[in-house]
Amino acid sequence: MKNRILVLSTLLTTLGSAMAFAEVAVIVHPSNANALDAATVAKIYLGREKSFADGQSVVPMSLVETAPSSASFNDVVLKKSASQLKAYWSKLVFTGKGTPPKELATEEEMLKLVAGNPSLIGFVDASKVDASVKVAFKF
Amino acid sequence: MKLQYNPRQRWLIGSVLLTTLYLPSAVAEVKLNGFASIRGTSVSSDGGATPYPGYEEGELSFKTESLFAIQASADLSEGLSATVQLFGEGATDFEVDARWAYFSYQLNDTHRLSAGRFANPIFHQSEYEKVGYAHNFSRLPKAVYIGLDFSTIEGIAVDSQFNIGDYSLQTKVLYGGWSGEVFSVVTNSAVGFGLDNIMSANATLAGDWWQLFGGIFAAEIDGAVIDSTTVFPLAAGGIALATANGATTAQIADFRNRIGWNEKDAFYWFSGFAVDYSNWLVDFEYVDYSVQESTDALNKSWYLALGHRFDNVVVTIHTEDYAQEADYGFLSGVAHPVLQATGRGIHNAFAQREFDGVGLSVRYDFHPSAAFKADYFKGTDTRATVDDYQLISFGVDLVF
Repeated sequence: MKNRILVLSTLLTTLGSAMAFAEVAVIVHPSNANALDAATVAKIYLGREKSFADGQSVVPMSLVETAPSSASFNDVVLKKSASQLKAYWSKLVFTGKGTPPKELATEEEMLKLVAGNPSLIGFVDASKVDASVKVAFKF
Repeated sequence: MKLQYNPRQRWLIGSVLLTTLYLPSAVAEVKLNGFASIRGTSVSSDGGATPYPGYEEGELSFKTESLFAIQASADLSEGLSATVQLFGEGATDFEVDARWAYFSYQLNDTHRLSAGRFANPIFHQSEYEKVGYAHNFSRLPKAVYIGLDFSTIEGIAVDSQFNIGDYSLQTKVLYGGWSGEVFSVVTNSAVGFGLDNIMSANATLAGDWWQLFGGIFAAEIDGAVIDSTTVFPLAAGGIALATANGATTAQIADFRNRIGWNEKDAFYWFSGFAVDYSNWLVDFEYVDYSVQESTDALNKSWYLALGHRFDNVVVTIHTEDYAQEADYGFLSGVAHPVLQATGRGIHNAFAQREFDGVGLSVRYDFHPSAAFKADYFKGTDTRATVDDYQLISFGVDLVF
């Protein structure tokens, strides 16, 4: 009986971990000294903020919507589902008021681009982060 | 309505098209986006006539509310871009129209200047009224979004985006003009009509879960043709009777000035709010508009919607009211009783159409780029030829 409970609880824990979102890191260029929180990052990704606090222009980069990090970022930082986000951008794209962040195919591409451009901000699975970028915050 | 492009419009559309579509990719990055709606709509009324122009009473039609658009936007770098949107809808036999054709220049982080042919922000959602995916209705409530002809204008506009603490403020100011055709019930054909010196300003203040908005749109009517083909013919019998009963030439001339629309000012106002809190959605918009000091009646309309989001399904109920208010002030000083009665009669004719109703809409986001929608609307129109009516529709809205 004890063994069954142990197996069951291990199974549940494993399943639970697999179903939970992996930790995501919001990343910027290593030279970027701006303090960033989720609210500011949301404004940047929704096209409402065009510069970092120090005046440097900001260009948000996104991942394809099938990337697990995208779903987590949309849910936690932007507080919108993929459909809500698409409806939001539809209003802006088709009225000339804005364009959504460019979507990158891989996290490797995201790391490479952010590491090479102080204007960029991006997000990746926290386990993929290396020394070429700076982590603004994780969630 | 089919727009007849004048030489200025043709030049504008042609130059934006050339810039957008034929620039070498090395010079400009061209983005293609689009939207479409495929919707079956059935309308029935007790009076037998259709409640809205372009809808077919008694039939299920896949044409009335179906549409598509392809938009190309070329980023010319340094903040300059060119955008053209080709649009076709079933209501006009899918005849493709260059609905948008404009250049934009990002002046700084806050302001963007646009010039060319673009959407007229008559009311809060007018600019994306046709993009079904952008809202939760099958069609935006007709009481407010009744399909005014001048939804696309030529002009210059400045869009601005301010951050005020945790809130954001979006504003737009615009100057422009419109010329086209409107349908005349008197001649039973399209007649020339225009709006000169269009000036509009609107603002939206938003927090995390709420929006407050308002705006004004003013223009001078270029209505010599509609006066001569519609307004004055309606008054012809009354004027003849008044003349036979002693009305002077001066009285007739004064009367014609009062009832005509040409060179009169038109004013449109809108205001409202939107809430999206814990998956509860509330929308309210109130509008009023009229051609001042003319036979046109003051239109006072609104809608109120309450919705709830259940994961990828949104259920919305709404009520709407399209009302007109008679105001005979434009006839003050008209002493002759026949002319007074004629003016009131025409005013009443323009004010006769009112309707209200309630609707239920369901949206199901079954795909990342597509939403299935179905709705039922039950309304009452003051015109005996329409009376009580119902709309049922179902279809898919796409963006790409």
